[in-house]
Formats: sequence, structure tokens, C-alpha cells
Amino acid sequence: MRYLLRRLSHALFLLAGVSILAFLFTALAPGTYFDEMRLNPQIAPETVTALRAQYGFDKPLPVRYASWLRSVIHGEMGFSFAYNGPVAPLLLVRARNTLLLTITATLLAWGIALPLGVWSADRLGRLPDRLLSWATAGLLVIPDLAVALGLLVLAVRSGWFPTGGMASVDFETLSPFNKLRDLALHMILPVTALVLSSLPLLVRHVRAAVADVLNAPFLLAAVGHGIRKRTLLYRYALPAAANPLISLFGFSIGVLLSGSLLIEVVMSWPGLGPLLLEAVLARDLYVVVGGILGSTLFLVGGNLLADLLLYWADPRIRTESGAR
Amino acid sequence: MRVRRTFAKWLVVLGVLHGMVVCAGFFAPYDPVEQDRQSPYLPPMRLHLLDAHGHLHVRPFVYALRLRESSFDQFEEDTTEPHPVKFFLRGARYRLLGFLPLRMHFFGGENTRIYLLGTDAYGRDQFSRLLFGGQVSLFAGLLGAGVTLFIGWSIGAVAGYYGGWRDSLLMRVAELFLALPWLYLLFALRAFLPLAVSPLEAFFLITAVLGAVGWARPARLVRGVVLSAKERDFVRAARGFGASNGYLLRRHILPETSSVLLTQAAILIPQYVLAEMTLSFLGLGVPEPVPSWGNLLSGLQQYSVLVSYWWMYLPALAMVPFFLGYLGLASSFEERGAVYKIESRIWGM
Amino acid sequence: MRSIVLLLLFVFVGHQAIAFPQEKIGKEELLVLPGEVGRAGGRLVVSLRGEPKTLNPLIAADARSREVIGVMQADLVHINRATQQTEPALAKSWKISPDGLSYTIVLRRGLKFSDGQPLDADDVLFTFRVYLDENVHAPQRDLLMVGGKPITVRKVDEHTVVFQLAKTYGVGERLFDGLAILPRHLLEKRYEEGKLGQIGSLATAADQWAGLGPFRLKEYVAGQRLVLERNPYYWKSDAQGGRLPYLDELVFLFVPNADAQVLKFQSGETDMISQVGAENFSVLSKQQHGYTMVDAGPGLEYNFLFFNLNDSIEKTSPDIQRKQKWFREVNFRQAVSAAVDREAIVRLVYQGRGAALWGLVAPGNRRWGNEKLPHPARSLDRARTLLKEAGFSWSNGPDGGSTLLDSDGKSVEFSILTSSTNADRAKMAALIQDDLKQLGMRVQVVPLESRSLLDRVTQSRDYDACIMGIASYDADANSDISVWLSSGGLHLWSPSQAHPATSWEAEIDRLIEEQMSARTFEQRKKLYDRAQEILAENQPMIFLASPNILAGAKNSIGNFHPAVLEPYVLWNVEQLYLKNGMENATR
Repeated sequence: MRYLLRRLSHALFLLAGVSILAFLFTALAPGTYFDEMRLNPQIAPETVTALRAQYGFDKPLPVRYASWLRSVIHGEMGFSFAYNGPVAPLLLVRARNTLLLTITATLLAWGIALPLGVWSADRLGRLPDRLLSWATAGLLVIPDLAVALGLLVLAVRSGWFPTGGMASVDFETLSPFNKLRDLALHMILPVTALVLSSLPLLVRHVRAAVADVLNAPFLLAAVGHGIRKRTLLYRYALPAAANPLISLFGFSIGVLLSGSLLIEVVMSWPGLGPLLLEAVLARDLYVVVGGILGSTLFLVGGNLLADLLLYWADPRIRTESGAR
Repeated sequence: MRVRRTFAKWLVVLGVLHGMVVCAGFFAPYDPVEQDRQSPYLPPMRLHLLDAHGHLHVRPFVYALRLRESSFDQFEEDTTEPHPVKFFLRGARYRLLGFLPLRMHFFGGENTRIYLLGTDAYGRDQFSRLLFGGQVSLFAGLLGAGVTLFIGWSIGAVAGYYGGWRDSLLMRVAELFLALPWLYLLFALRAFLPLAVSPLEAFFLITAVLGAVGWARPARLVRGVVLSAKERDFVRAARGFGASNGYLLRRHILPETSSVLLTQAAILIPQYVLAEMTLSFLGLGVPEPVPSWGNLLSGLQQYSVLVSYWWMYLPALAMVPFFLGYLGLASSFEERGAVYKIESRIWGM
Repeated sequence: MRSIVLLLLFVFVGHQAIAFPQEKIGKEELLVLPGEVGRAGGRLVVSLRGEPKTLNPLIAADARSREVIGVMQADLVHINRATQQTEPALAKSWKISPDGLSYTIVLRRGLKFSDGQPLDADDVLFTFRVYLDENVHAPQRDLLMVGGKPITVRKVDEHTVVFQLAKTYGVGERLFDGLAILPRHLLEKRYEEGKLGQIGSLATAADQWAGLGPFRLKEYVAGQRLVLERNPYYWKSDAQGGRLPYLDELVFLFVPNADAQVLKFQSGETDMISQVGAENFSVLSKQQHGYTMVDAGPGLEYNFLFFNLNDSIEKTSPDIQRKQKWFREVNFRQAVSAAVDREAIVRLVYQGRGAALWGLVAPGNRRWGNEKLPHPARSLDRARTLLKEAGFSWSNGPDGGSTLLDSDGKSVEFSILTSSTNADRAKMAALIQDDLKQLGMRVQVVPLESRSLLDRVTQSRDYDACIMGIASYDADANSDISVWLSSGGLHLWSPSQAHPATSWEAEIDRLIEEQMSARTFEQRKKLYDRAQEILAENQPMIFLASPNILAGAKNSIGNFHPAVLEPYVLWNVEQLYLKNGMENATR
């Protein structure tokens, strides 16, 4: 319990640090949101200067940070220049959509990667294992965006899936069951793209971790006892190999908000991706800072979860952490 | 015994592949930046031995490609005249290994250009670009991954081995690094750098940026493994015998983390080749027209390329053996090194 | 005489208006549109490259918001996107005083906003008061400053207003295009509270927002779509008297990626597509299932290369100052222009769907181009002669290539900036780089993300050369004024100068200023032609190419006539209809 409290206080410090550095970086980056207006021949430079002043851009950085903190306390998370309103509601609606996508994809990816990796480790060096190695290496060199586009092309050619988006135009008129069906149909492609992009990494780690323990004496002993292979692999080998996988699972949790941004853009998924990408390029600062803080929150949470799991899963570490 | 043979096999495979990349000037038929503006997006030419009349040729040959009638981008072979592939012929100037000025090329065509992997949007030879591109990308990827893993391992091992406040501090710093808006920092970095970045500078920049940004993940993975490894009986025993921390880290902890490190390397190298694409977007990558694998792959992200010019995917396919080669080499290396793992030595093989 | 009759008529009607409740004013004066008569009903789905930011014309700064606002609002005088001429809109007619300083505008009678509230002269007065209010920071304000003074507006009666200009302005009535007339009944209170900038977000309730355009707000789903419905009070009718628009609903889907937009159109999920790139256009053209692709010809976008000609103030680094010695040389710029292979740019970048360019007026502009402008073919020989005349020489390198040297014996090397988000311009840069290599210049292409690029060009001015593109928003010469004038912000090679740096820039300034206040088209054209000639002689901008406007629509869409002006396919949205028996298939 004390450990948890300490970690939470660390997380607060981390969030403060990230927000300060994010502010600093965004201030260092060239250009501001209002620069694009300078290219609009209908807008005079004086207007741009006036607008900058109106949003406090002429004030020093600490002052802006302080006023941003105030708005965080009010639950607004700052102000979006582009949307001309508070950031928090913008982020919340879209974060929900992103999480729907990424949680599904993460569960699915782990669900596939664990058996696949164990299977491959069991046949280490044989043909199926080699083929899998080729496939994962191939997936690693093809950019995620190309994979996503390829899936969309498949959707157009086959007509089985909608080409991106989250709902049909007449979504509101559908019955509850059809709404669910519509949503599921829209989710298939982006989820597939996400799974394909995270699979090589997961499979490789599972395979390596399991292969590591397969030669361990206790497993050889278990084989000697005549325990069924299936039980052997999943009940004995996998838990023993869990250590690096748990840290990896922490990362999977950590990137729930930030791991799908580009795929969302290609798949027109109404999540954080399109919003943040546009905000980064347009220098809509507070939206970007809000997005960074959100994903930091998940990152910290994921790592905390991983650490707790590590202590829980590995008796050796547990003995040591008790001493702390 | 078997281990040694696979090790040698991978070494030979990688040696040949890298030989081609290092001596790209010789193996590539053309200058990678030369534009053949009359033939943009030309599909790969097929090597034939049998001509249209059914005659067998000793020397492989190609047919020139021409636009199919009333078509804009459909090509067909002009079977009236076979163009034999010539070996060891004179062509564009290049410098072998960066200093030896030469004009000799491994192969080429005499009065037609031979495009083994087709051409890109400017009519540049994709095969030549693939070979030359490897020079920058492979070495930047390898070095970047090396730097990342070195920093990651050191920090992860220290955090896991010593634990306590060191662990907390280092892991919070790692989280900070994972959370930071790197894109913005790179925007800023770009603004402070000189405008024109030469390929060599770009190479070092890419390596440095990737190495500095990427260490946090491997560090966490390594730390987790070390946390458990240091409590193993043989480590405790060694410590009991008075082994120094440095000795323990090097001899007992490092081998335990090797499979995590190797897996990370297998993933990081291709990832870093791709990361160069993002850096190019910021003007920090390898500048056009110098070829790099990131540049070659970035073309794949367009719908029109995906559906119209399938051969643009061939370079991606050609990169796979490289990455698999590293992996194979590394894992057989690990198997060789496995004798150092105490437990395996006692009970295992 | 006629105006007196009109005036009497208005007094009479105004009197009536007081006597009777509003809806009994009598007949609405609808604008009757010629052209194909369509069928009412149905829904049209189009994609938008990302979300619009606001529905409020007072703060809309991005193209997407403007596109959506364009179909929800209406202006007094409108530029017909097909003919590129002005025509009456909310104004039934307008009259210009003999001195050219006052515009009397007569509103159509009986018009209503989309919430059913009537429109009158007070709405117009309110609208312009808001636009001109300094504290509102409306982007429209700068447009309404003529001769440095704001336009003043005076109400004559319920349906007549007079606009007073401080100085004659060549294209007075074109000013009104795109200036939405705002609903006073909804905005006045917020305006007085000083909160006008905070309203009109996309989440606004549908009954809290109104306009005079063909469609009105129905539903917004964050990140996904904006649904508009037919405005039942719209003030246009077709030739048979049927009230427009034909469509019941207009849906904007937010599709942030260009390729995804193409795929969505190809799969039939959207009905129309515009701003298609040449490569995607040819993919779409290959297999036209139930849709047709249209090449509307060259548009108004002009792409150009320019060098950093900013005055060497202390800000610029010595390195750039050294290079500026070449850039300032007219011969150098002309040589670069002569060496650029424009034909290859059109063929390789636009797949032939574009036009080579030698002047600022793009070929899509039918009235303002100077036909006498020379179109010299690519000639490396001429380029070399020009360079030789200016004191440049060549040295032969060890690798067989030659290097261009300046008069001090330094080799000529510079970099060209391009926006990394624009693939077309990046391609142009790669081609030009290769072209100039043949002159012995060593050019490096530096892609930068667009804000960083803008910052370099307009703020820090720390660059050698840059490729950019500008799309004029109107076919009239005045839309490019800030490119021409040395004080303009888009005078990119040396923006916002206090005094013109060179005599030819001063001459262009004079011609353009004079052109602005000239009264007849012929006078203006003559002055404008001369300015184009001076620009071509001095080559501060080396013009490259102009892409065609490419669009497509399902075969079931009637009245689909893409224009080369924005909004390319939605300009006649009120006339678009779904053909009989071909209901919009939604999948």
C-alpha cells in the first residue's frame, strides 16, 4: 500500500515534469498557430499580432504555464485555438473512441501472440518457425500505413467492409442490434491493422522468452515425469517465461492512447489520431499538451501495473521487495 | 557442432549481402540519382533465356518495354529485338569504397537500360537505389540499435541490479523519456541546425536521435529480467564468494538478458530503417536525391503506388533477408554463448 | 428615374410592413436559376479532409470551415464559379454612383433566415458593424478597408443600404462575395457581451444557429460527420419555380487522409470527390464503376521557386549574404528559369494533368493572363550564356561533372526548401535539383514541415530558396495583391517591405495601386499586363506549373459541373440532385 502511494506521488511529479517539458518544447518549435494566417492574403499582419496577444502569446512562458495550470484545475486543460474552445471535452470524446479500438486490438494481439509464440518456440529452428520468422520480419519492414492502406483496398475490392470511419451515415436510425453490428463491421479493419503492426514484436518476444526456459532443468524434469506437452508449455513454460512479457504488457497498456494515431488517420477513425496529428502540425499547443499528458497517464499506469505483476508473478523478486 | 555450422552459414549470407551493399557502385548498373525522365514507373524487366521465336540464348537478355497502345501506364515487352545482358562493362562513374574511382559495373545493357526492379517516379533505377540506400540505412540502423541497446542495457541493468532509489529514479527518467513529445523537440532541433544537412551529417544525426530516444523500452525490459536474475541461486552464491558487482553484471546478469536484447535488436533495426522516414519528414533524414531505405519505403504509403506499381514493394522484400540474417547470426551467436550460462552448463547440453 | 420609382415602391412596401404582420409582406423575391431542372429529395455524402473547426464566419480561418460555412451562409453579391463574374444574390440589384465611391444595394424582399426569422437591412448593418469592429478580430475586416479606411454602411430603408468607400476600388462589388450576412436576432446579445468569438462551435444546438445558405445545421458527431439539412426558406428556385435546394440532406464525412478519401469514393460511400491528385485520378479513372471522373482543366494554383532576396540586415547570416550576391543577379535567376524543365514537371508530377507556367496568372484564369508573355522553351545553352555574362565560370571536377563558380571562384551551392506534407512540390524540387545539376549548381532539397517552413520564410528569413504554391481564391487580379505589393505578406522573396527595395518593385507597386482604383476592365488589364511583364523580366518568382482541377461524382448526381474556383464541386450545391430511380445506395 505504501509502495502504491509512493508510486502515485512519483506519477504526479512525472506528470508535472512532462507538462513543463512539453511546454518548453512546444515553445521552442518554430512557428505558432497563427502563422498560417499570415499566408492568407485577406488577413493583415496586424490582425495576426492582435490575435496572438489576445491568446497570451506575448506573455512569458511561466505566465502561460501558470494560466494553463489554472485551467487544468478547472477541468478545461487549456484552450484550443483551432476549435476555439476548451481542450478537455475535445479529447474526452475522441479518447473514448481510441480506447475502444486499442483495447480490443491489444487483447486480440496478445491472444494471438501467446499461442503463436509458444507454438513457434516449441518448433524452434524447424520450418514452421522459420516461416513465421520470415513473416514477422516482412511485417516489420512494411510501414504500418501501407498495411492499413492495403486493408482498405481489400475493403473496396471485396465490398465486405466499410472503408474506414466508425459508423454508417444512417447509424442513428438503426436498431440497437444493428448499431452493434455496424460498429463491429467498422472496427474489423482498424483492429486488424493494429494487430498486424504489434504482432511481430509480441510474437518474437514470446518465442524468445519461452525458448529460453524450454531447456531449463525443471522443464526437463517435467518432461521426464511424462506431463502432457500442452500442459507443459502453458502451465509450466509460459509462467516461467513471463518476466519480460510482463514488462512488454505494461508497454501495451502504456500505448493504448498513443499507439494507434497513424492508423486512425488512414482509417478515418474518430479517435485522438486525426485530432492530435492536425494539432501538432498546426501548433494547436494545448491540444498537443493535453494529448501528451493523457498518454503519459496511461504510460505510468501501464508501468505500475507491470511492476505489480512482476512482484506478483516472480517469487524471487517478491522476497526482495518485501525487504524494501 | 551444428551450432558452429549455422553460425558460419549466416556469416556467409550476411557477408555476401553486405558485400553487395558496400560495393554498391560495382553491383548497381547505374548512378542511383540519375533520372530517366522518359521512363517513370517502369515495371521490372524480366530476364529471358528463350526468345519470342523459341530460340535458346546462352546469354540472358531482356526486352525493352514500351507503352501498350492507347494506354497511359500499361507496359508490354518489345519482342522484336533482344538486348543481351553484358557483364563487366563501362558505365557511370563511381567511387568504390568511397575512394577508388571506377567505371566498371557488374552488369548492364549495351543500348538499352536494364531495370531489374523497375524505376521510380523519376525514372531512377530501383535496383541501384536499393543497393546504395543500404549503405546509409543499414549502418545507421545497426549503429542506432547498438547505441540504443547499449544505453538501454546499462540503465536497465543498474536499475534492476541495485534497486531501491536508483531503480525508482532511473525508471521515472525512462518514463519521462517515453512520454516526451519528441516530434516537437525535433521541430525545434531542426530550426537550430544548419539548413542543408549532408548525407554524412544526416547519418550521424539519425543515429544519435534514434539512440537517444529509444533506450527507455529496452531498459525497462532488461530491468525486469535483471530483477529476477539477481536473486538466482548461482548469483547469490557468486556474491557470497565475494564476486564484485561489475563481475556479476558482466558474467552472470548479461547472459540472462541476452534473449531479450537480441529480440529487441531484431525489432529495432527494421524499425530504425523506417524511422528515418519520419525524420525525413522533418528534414532530418537523408536528403533527396540520395537513396536510403527509408526513402524507398516511404513511397509505399500511397494508394496509387499500392494499386498501380506493385514492383515498388520489391525493395521491401529484398530487405527482409538482411534483417533475418542479423537475427540468425545473433541467435546462433547466443547458442554459442549459451555455454556461459551457468545453469545450462551444469544441467543442460 | 428608375431609382425614384424603386424608392417609392420601397417606401410603400415599408409602410405595408408596419401595417401587417411580417409573414404577410407578400411574395418572396426568389432568385430563379437557369439550368437543368432536377428532382427533389435524397442525401448527398461528401468527404472533408478533417473536421471543420467552427460554423462561425467571424473566426473561421481554415479552408474546411469555410467550405462548410459556404453552404450554410449567403452573401449580398456572389461570384459565379462557372463564369467567374459577379451576379446578384441576396442583393436584388446594386448601383454604383458616378464617382465610384458609393454602392447602393437593394435587398430581395421577403427573405428569411433558416430559422424562419426575416432578413432586413438591419441585419446587413449589424453584419458589417461586426465585421468592422476591431475588437472582434474578424478576418473579413482587412478586406473591408479600402484606401486605409473602413467602408461605411448606411441604411436607407428596410431593404436598401448604401456602402460608402473612401477611395474608388476597381472591383467594388466583388468585395461582397463570401461575406456572410449574419442573423442579428441570434448574435446581437452575444456581440454586446463581447462573446461573439465563442459561439458557433460545431456542438451548437441546431436551433441556435441560422444562416441564409441552402443548408442548415442538423447534427454533428465529433470526429465523424456533420449532417446538414435542407433550408426550407432558401431564396432560390429552379426554372420551373421549384424551391431549391433539391437535396434533403448534405453529409460531410471527416476523412483525414487523401488516399482514404479516394477509397471511400471508390467504394461508393461518398458521392463526390474533389481536389484529387493526378495519380489518384488516374487510378480512379481506370475502372469507373457507376461514377465519372472529370478534368476541369487548369485551376488557379501557381507553383513557383523563389530565392531569398531579403535585404541583408544583421539578421541574415554571412553565408546567406554571400549567396544573395548570386540570387540578386537577374541573369542568375533567368538562367535558373531557363534550365527548369517545366514540361517534365507537368508530365512527371501531374501526369500531364497540368500546365507549364511562365507567369503569375494561372491558365485557369480566363480574363487576366497576359498572352504576350514569352514562353521560352527549356534551354541549357541560354542558361549558360546568361551565367557567363554575369561572370560565372565552370571548373571540371574529377568525377566528370562540372562545377559552377561565381566571380570569386566559389562554387555555387544552395538549398531549396519544400513542404514535406506536399508530395507534388517535393517532386518538383527533386526535378529542379537534377536540372540545375546540369548547370553545375549543387542544390540540396530540404523538406520541412509546413510551420517550420513558414517560420523560415516569413519570420527568421533564414533560407536560400524555396518552392511554394498559392491558389488564388478569386479570378480577379486583386486576389493576388499581397503577392504583388512589396508591402504585402505574400511578397515572399522579401515580404512586408517598408519601401520597395528595387526600382522594378516600385514600378510594380505603382501599377498595381493604379490598377486597383482604375474604373474599367480595359484600363486595369493594361496596367496588370505591364506588371506581369516586369515580373517575368526580373524573375523574382520562377513559375513552374499549375495543376488541373480534378473531380468526380457518381453518375446518379445531376448538375455536377466542377469549377476551377473554390469550392470546386459544391459551388452549385443547391442545384445538385439525385437522378430519378437511382436512389443513393448506402452501404
